[in-house]
Amino acid sequence: MRMTKRNYRVLPLAFAASMATVWGAFAQEAGTLVVDTAFQLKTADPAREFEPTANLVLHPVYETLITFKGSDLTKLEPSLASVPTISSDAKTFTFELNPAAKFSDGSPVTVDDVIFSFNRVKNVKGSPSFLLDGVTVAKGSKDGEIVLTTEQPDPGLPYKLANPALGIVNAKVVKANQGSADEGADKTDRADTFFATASAGSGPYVLDKFDMAAEVVLKKNDAYWGAKPNYDQIVVRNVDTSAQQMNVMRGDSQIALDLRPDQLDAIKDTAYTLSVPGADVVFMFTNSNPEISKVAANRDFQQAVRLAIDYDGLLEIAGEGAARPGSIIPTMFAGALPTAEGPKRDVEGAKAALAKSGIKDPVIELTYVSDITKNGISFADVAAKMQADLKEVGITADLKPSPVSTFLDNYRAGTLPMTIVWWGPDFPDPSDYLLFGPGEKVGLRAGWKEGTAPEVAEIAKKAAVEIDQTKRTALYDEWQKKLNEQGPFTSLFQPAFSMASSKTLEPVEYNAMWTIDLTAIAPAKQ
Amino acid sequence: MTYLRKSWYALPNLLRFVVRRLFVGALLCLGITFVSFALTQVVPGDPVSANLGDRAASDPEIVAAFRARYGLDQPIPQQYALYLERLVHGDLGESQQTHRPVTTDLSQYLPATIELASAAMILALVIGISLGVLAAIARDRWPDQIIRVISLAGVSVPTFWLALVTFYVFFFKLGIAPGVGRLNPGGKAPPSITNMFTIDALLAGQWATFGIALSHIVLPAAVLAIYTIGSITRFTRAAMLESLSQDYVRAARAKGLPTRTVILRHALRPALAAIVTVAGMAFGRMLSGTVLVESVFSWPGIGQYAYKSALALDLRAIMGVSLVVAVIYILVNMAVDLIYAFIDPRIRLG
Repeated sequence: MRMTKRNYRVLPLAFAASMATVWGAFAQEAGTLVVDTAFQLKTADPAREFEPTANLVLHPVYETLITFKGSDLTKLEPSLASVPTISSDAKTFTFELNPAAKFSDGSPVTVDDVIFSFNRVKNVKGSPSFLLDGVTVAKGSKDGEIVLTTEQPDPGLPYKLANPALGIVNAKVVKANQGSADEGADKTDRADTFFATASAGSGPYVLDKFDMAAEVVLKKNDAYWGAKPNYDQIVVRNVDTSAQQMNVMRGDSQIALDLRPDQLDAIKDTAYTLSVPGADVVFMFTNSNPEISKVAANRDFQQAVRLAIDYDGLLEIAGEGAARPGSIIPTMFAGALPTAEGPKRDVEGAKAALAKSGIKDPVIELTYVSDITKNGISFADVAAKMQADLKEVGITADLKPSPVSTFLDNYRAGTLPMTIVWWGPDFPDPSDYLLFGPGEKVGLRAGWKEGTAPEVAEIAKKAAVEIDQTKRTALYDEWQKKLNEQGPFTSLFQPAFSMASSKTLEPVEYNAMWTIDLTAIAPAKQ
Repeated sequence: MTYLRKSWYALPNLLRFVVRRLFVGALLCLGITFVSFALTQVVPGDPVSANLGDRAASDPEIVAAFRARYGLDQPIPQQYALYLERLVHGDLGESQQTHRPVTTDLSQYLPATIELASAAMILALVIGISLGVLAAIARDRWPDQIIRVISLAGVSVPTFWLALVTFYVFFFKLGIAPGVGRLNPGGKAPPSITNMFTIDALLAGQWATFGIALSHIVLPAAVLAIYTIGSITRFTRAAMLESLSQDYVRAARAKGLPTRTVILRHALRPALAAIVTVAGMAFGRMLSGTVLVESVFSWPGIGQYAYKSALALDLRAIMGVSLVVAVIYILVNMAVDLIYAFIDPRIRLG
């Protein structure tokens, strides 16, 4: 269009009209839920994701065979399938698919879709592949029956299956978009590009927009086979923690997921606040491998360190809502040990243990991650507090800050004499923590070799295969008590998960698996 | 050979200048690929640890698949040779953190930053030059003193702090600025042409989207502009003072030309050469230094992308960002030299 003088005269009017629309648009659209979080997100492909934000946004899109309700991670609930029947040897798990289940394109969810989805997770060899290590999936003898078999007894398997990474995808759609579940899918599957633009799940929402730097938009699945979703649209935005609180207070968003405990006071009058222990456990270890450090490997020295730490002081640093588990399993999981069972500060006892060790004026390197925080808690603060505690009993800790990228290499190689680190659960079952045993993956990082604590290993062996829940919990209790006595690990605290939600919503619950259940959020009742 | 030389010198000076600068620029880019590649290799830390989950990083099969997918299983010289070979075809490799081609990532994030930096630059030039001229005219009087304080504050205030304070005041307290991001939550972006939302919305005639995009850019652009306003003000003042003391300015005044004409046509024009130099450097600095502003205003630009890439040891992304920023620096510098010739005809290019 050629611009005439008349056209130019119209421009300011058009500009004014557009600005008026802008001011009007500041108001939130009804039917839209806006959630702010600092993204930890790499992909929208369930078979390749293993990040907290991916769990949050993919849980409403891809349903799993079984699920959890609310914040309870100890009780399995049916989803696409029934709660499984488990064989007495804990090697065979039988599920029955719900015949009503449908994908967003209206096609039914079948056993073939389940087999495709699980084999794809295994064969693309992404971060969640380990969840199905040693698992074979097959059709059962009846229609809609799925049978999972494991090489080793694995009573914790059903708890892994609720992970959104094991969400069931529409095999036909994914195959049509360069997806593969065959051997070699790590080279041939290119469906991650498709998953960034669309979805192929059976959940109450479908993916409308996936911008991993800015926002993920979910749209109501009109063909959903269950109860109708509460919102037409859910927008999950990538927002720096500094702005999240203000956004909720101004009504620009309804939920802020990454607040620090100290921010909650300012917002509690205008929004619901929640500060509960998160599922990550911050722990320390003194390396049991004398080749790494003779000082750290000394059992009496380890005991002196354990008794020297002011656990209550550390909990204060962690802030309101943080908790201290009795051992390595976090408080919300079955098998968690009460706080009272954990080590307690005893300065005189620490001095006596140090004297018994025969090490005079010990000096030890204490390494910590310097460039990230855990739920707002700086590891530098934790390390400084521990340094002061150790000084009181005569141990000199040389603080060694390290960027996370180099820290992880050294930590995993087992070369750190003493460190503060954290463990986030891979799945909500105590069996995830058996890795802390002697000769196991995390145990080896602390120099705890196989055969050095046969009693601990023996209890772990029994706990790994026990399917009776009461006996299982008792075994994990016993295992952790021995771990506290004989192992190089000491759990310090679980950082608090602190969030705020608008009073225009019903109060929101925390779930350690997907942070919050977006499908369960509802407007406040009038 | 003689023919080539004759043909070369037969070309217009300007064209010879551009061709020469582009050739040197290409060599410079090659050097930058080498330096950035070497740096990513010497940084302690393994991309496997930074990108795979704890369990996956301990599984040799998964680690092998990861290394194979990103070419990390090749010898280092071969990795570099392969990178260059792909680069010639416009392929910057695949990002380990986004699982997408780096070119796709850059085409999404770079326009967001260019849009932000351009808006900031326009603000900085308009305000900085105006304040600088005013300060020079009112030398050592109260307007000059006030402007000196303003420009000093501009270059001294920490950007992150300023971003938080402006967001608090204009969004939270006064409610006259929109929230974070480039558009309202869930807002539809205009049809993608440049990926700069204000421009794309204008091109598509989507006035409402244009207004929303413009309202979202104002605050972060203003924060980003503050430092540059300070430096442009100071340089303009100094250059104007020098111009105003020249004989030809005195002659113009003596001839009875209006003050406005003397200032704008006789004094400001020669001063512009210095201002253009500062502006060119400032634009490059803005492109590579927006991370803090992008972080507070949740602006999905190249600054945040670079920061996250560095944390994840995403080698291809780091190299892609380095290369693109270098190319922009080179182009901006060339543009500055060309503008010199336009501003001051005495300058000969070639």
